[in-house]
Amino acid sequence: MLTLPEIGLYFSFLLFLVGLAGVMFRKNILFMMLSIEVLLNAANLAFVCASKITGTIDGQVVMFFVMAVAACEAAIGLALIIALYRTKASIEADDLKALRG
Amino acid sequence: MDLNFISFIVMGIAASILSGVMVTRRWPVSAAMVLIAIMMLLAGMFGLLEAHFAAAAQIIVYAGAIMVVFVFVMMLLNLPPEELRYGGITWGEMLLIGLGVAVAIVLGTQVGQGLLTRGFESLGFIPGQAPPGARPLYFPPSENVKNLAAAMFVDYLWAFELTSFLIMAAVVGSIVIAKKRSAENANAA
Repeated sequence: MLTLPEIGLYFSFLLFLVGLAGVMFRKNILFMMLSIEVLLNAANLAFVCASKITGTIDGQVVMFFVMAVAACEAAIGLALIIALYRTKASIEADDLKALRG
Repeated sequence: MDLNFISFIVMGIAASILSGVMVTRRWPVSAAMVLIAIMMLLAGMFGLLEAHFAAAAQIIVYAGAIMVVFVFVMMLLNLPPEELRYGGITWGEMLLIGLGVAVAIVLGTQVGQGLLTRGFESLGFIPGQAPPGARPLYFPPSENVKNLAAAMFVDYLWAFELTSFLIMAAVVGSIVIAKKRSAENANAA
């Protein structure tokens, strides 16, 4: 019988999978950013579950660091989206072919 | 099967389904609203895992601050509807996602030493007990905020202070990136 945090790890896996699919399959950069937030939330859930499984607090501390990195990532990424929209008038990843990615 | 267990599973399933709903939206603002619901559900799961301060910070920082920035940028861009061309999820993408689930199940049952069926005890962890070598808690486990503060400001003090440098660099960087470059600046550069 699995305990509560062990089941939470599987939910974390499901959330991470859907977020990864969003990053890979959506062409809109705004949706890619939102999917990255889902990825970070799934990682947070895994950290909190690990903290509960091992009975230590370190997982929750790491969760706060992930949250700080997510805030930085949102600020920088959205600034990049604004700069891209100003120069290319589009936020579709297919239209950004300057780097031939 | 107590109430905590059932509500945890219901919230987890709802969050998983809503994340699938989120990545298939056409309009960014409705996706942001669904993401706020996902974050609220995750905050409830953190609360059931007895990470009370993490649950509060999830609502205040994620659903509050970060999502406001997202919605603000969506309003600022004011995208015309023809910019948002999205035909929905295709069968090939669904096949790839199913393949990912299958690979993960095989890894969990075969490589992960029965992690999927027997849980973390198969890896030598005893649930609710610190692994050997881990630092013991400063306070009893029920004092979540006290324990978190002690760990963050004693053991992780340098990492915590360096985070402030990271945030400051992000703030300055986002201003520089999003700044409108005027003609005389472009000529001077």
